[in-house]
Amino acid sequence: MKSKKIVSLAVAFGLAASSLLGAAPASANDKVITVWADETRGPALEKTLGTVAAQKGGEWVPGYKVKVVAFSSFDALKAAVDNVTKDGPDVILAANDWVASGAQNGKLAVYTPSAAVRTGFNPNAWFDLTYKNRIYGVPVDVNNVAMLVNTKLAGKKPATFGEMVNFYLKNKTSKKLTAGLCVAGGGMSWGAHSVLSALGGGAYPIRNAKVDTRQNPVPAAVATNISKFLLDSKGASNGFFPASDTGCKDNFLAGKVPYAIIGNWEWKDYQDKGFSMNNLMAVPGVTKGKFGAAFGSVSGALLTSFAATNGNDAAAKSFLSNFFGSEKGQLAYGKNDPRPPAHKGAAAKAAPALKGFGSAAAAASVPQIGAILNGSKGNASYWDALPSFWNDVLVKKAAPGSSVSKLNTLFKKNIVEGMKTL
Amino acid sequence: MKLFTGNKLAVTAKVIFVSITLALLGLLAQSAFASGEGFIAAFIAFSMVTLAIIYFTKISIPMKFFLPGVLLLSAFVVLPILYTLVMSGFQFKTGNYVDKPAALERIVADSFVADDSGLTFDVVVGEDGQGNTALLATDYMSGKYFLSTEESIVELDASQVTVDPTLGIAVETSGFTRFDNDVLAARGDQIASLRFAGPGEYFLGLEGFEVAIPFKPTLVYDEASDSFTNEQTGAKYVDNGRGNFANIDDPQDIVSPGWRSPIWFENYVSLVTDEKVREPFIGVFIWTMVFAISTVVTQFALGLLVALALDKPLGGRRFYRIIIILPYAVPSIMSILIWGGMFDTEFGAINALLGTKIAWFLDENFARAAVIIVNLWLGFPYFYLISNGALQAIPGELSEAARIDGASNRQIFWQITLPLLLKMLTPLLIASFAFNFNNFNLIFLLTGGGPRNDLDGEIAGATDILISYTYKIAFGSSVQDLGLASAISVVIFILVAGISLYGIRRSKVLEEFI
Repeated sequence: MKSKKIVSLAVAFGLAASSLLGAAPASANDKVITVWADETRGPALEKTLGTVAAQKGGEWVPGYKVKVVAFSSFDALKAAVDNVTKDGPDVILAANDWVASGAQNGKLAVYTPSAAVRTGFNPNAWFDLTYKNRIYGVPVDVNNVAMLVNTKLAGKKPATFGEMVNFYLKNKTSKKLTAGLCVAGGGMSWGAHSVLSALGGGAYPIRNAKVDTRQNPVPAAVATNISKFLLDSKGASNGFFPASDTGCKDNFLAGKVPYAIIGNWEWKDYQDKGFSMNNLMAVPGVTKGKFGAAFGSVSGALLTSFAATNGNDAAAKSFLSNFFGSEKGQLAYGKNDPRPPAHKGAAAKAAPALKGFGSAAAAASVPQIGAILNGSKGNASYWDALPSFWNDVLVKKAAPGSSVSKLNTLFKKNIVEGMKTL
Repeated sequence: MKLFTGNKLAVTAKVIFVSITLALLGLLAQSAFASGEGFIAAFIAFSMVTLAIIYFTKISIPMKFFLPGVLLLSAFVVLPILYTLVMSGFQFKTGNYVDKPAALERIVADSFVADDSGLTFDVVVGEDGQGNTALLATDYMSGKYFLSTEESIVELDASQVTVDPTLGIAVETSGFTRFDNDVLAARGDQIASLRFAGPGEYFLGLEGFEVAIPFKPTLVYDEASDSFTNEQTGAKYVDNGRGNFANIDDPQDIVSPGWRSPIWFENYVSLVTDEKVREPFIGVFIWTMVFAISTVVTQFALGLLVALALDKPLGGRRFYRIIIILPYAVPSIMSILIWGGMFDTEFGAINALLGTKIAWFLDENFARAAVIIVNLWLGFPYFYLISNGALQAIPGELSEAARIDGASNRQIFWQITLPLLLKMLTPLLIASFAFNFNNFNLIFLLTGGGPRNDLDGEIAGATDILISYTYKIAFGSSVQDLGLASAISVVIFILVAGISLYGIRRSKVLEEFI
């Protein structure tokens, strides 16, 4: 009898404890907008806004506080966004190429900026966050790459692509160079676009700020330039431009590579090694005065469909407009995030350390149009096709003419398909 | 009935431990139930009842030991397999991710389009003299002011409003009371759903608490016929039975988002009939078999060779044994990444040592060789350890008797030692085969499945094994096909289970088990 009482007590304790634990409030009664972000933007945003406990409420949205949830990495954030089906965040700080899939999956909601907010940003920045003519968030910061020159090794900044190749070929043995130009940031598709562009090609031709569907994105001249600058007389790679980005950063920092394409998010690593922002530039083209265009993409504060189910739709939109959509908000955030702000006013007042990337982008840049780049109507997306192309011409010794022709056909199909959803 | 035996301390500890476990499970069950996950809540509740019965009664002593394992196995192995099996029968991919009610809600919410002119109003939210929620709206560009409720919109004269000198927008008018922040926060959800009267055919919708934009609906849902009609083009969109509303006249024209929809065995059928799926699947399957078999054979051969070498009296044998076990002791993720760097074409140590410029990860054959070499490094110490143990277990009298009968060392190895070793180690070899069949980490971290010639439309890479190929389909590109990936996972499960069972039966080990 006694033992039955113990059992009853134990079960009762278990249930009571779980009820108590379950009833414990997750937070106070504050109205809260929840933002998910990665391991760099999350802490930067929380530092800007303050923790929920430190906020009075109403700083950016009437009656609301903002809670920031920082994930351990960009991939962890992506996985969480992919998997969440209930109780999701109201806003996510995400890459612009999440817009298409997020919209298709019903996880993102349309945000229509006011005229005042719209004019604060470059039209290309809105373009990055658009899917089927709808905008899904506010541009936050700009990611771009630029070419950094090790002037101690290579002397002055090069004026043409050929100058870089000549320097490498003349000095590769004496200076023990492992490569001439390599991609340290952004990978062999995003980061290496400026090289393809410097050689005369690109993901899509842009004319008058619009995609030109009639022109060839990768014309035959690219094959000629590849043969002239990247291959030797036997059609093998001359070693100037490796087909892989592995080891590039370490070798550049070790003084074994004179030119490297680097991302603005990793500038501090180079600054710590004594590199100057003045030695950043766009990849020079094959003729003097021309430059390879790099992608200038924005990350966005994207409105989720959970905002409506959380009862925070209007508040989340207010937050997007009042904080990320304003110069004041972006300047405040920019103090804690190393990337250049997307807001034009805030960018003009950004820290000088970020301006080297800005001037490289000013020399040549191209908008990152996810609808075209992510599409695979031509059998592969831009992201997958370009590394294969480098592999073909630099490793497998495929004839540049035939590889360029394949790449051109593939890109053209993707452009035609992508334009349908813009 | 006396439920508890044993000393008081043990009984008290058990009661406390079980009670805490029940409390935590209760919390999980509540949380799952509150999230609408009825099945998970029911499973946890069932586990709680079972735990209470088993640990507070003497109904089954063995179950006191087995129950945690059985419950965890059910939760983390059996249920995921069943879930994968169910999902393999669904159209479950990018664009068809949510359920139908959620998709409908989203389509309706997104079906409003803004005025093409880009007209926006700066607004102050409040209520009019009749207590109706109202917007005091300013068209900044034209300098016009309006008071809009759900019923009507009235243009106000500049003399009727008070303009904030800093913002340049109307903030007060007669009979209008502005909501304070607390009211906005409390009623924000309700206010956001209102449609205020707007100019012409448009209504004003809030885009935040400060801005309203003229919208008009494009797609209108008819619940009776479960269809949408585009108000502008007249096109009718009906449920196509595959998780989308599709245009009757143009089935390719579908509305986003779609929803998860049952398509039964279509994902399995596509493995055979869809050329884009079938061809890479067959190629990947063949390489997976080659990879798994060659890995097991090479690892076992090298492990056994080292074990045989170190079985003999040798100076510094203990030191060699420690050195050989080291690759097994280092976390494999670290080893794989280091090997990845060593195989780099331009900067890698291997090419530097060989004086070559081999593009290890960009050439199909070299990439495959690199994968097998790295896996050999990672796995041979394990086979060394088990071979070493097994060698000790073979009675020395057998080889001694053979030697007396005139057998050579080679004959003793091939006809006595190896058959006996294989008899002992076959279950481990089969387990190793099954592990390597699904050795995702190695492929993902070393080669990413590549190289792959995307220019020629290749979907799978040269070193992709079935599991990494499945991962690519499920998560590896901008279009994720979780339904197809689930179907491939089920096929992998059947293949591995089948091959393992066949191997065990053929080797006649674990006979009493099967």
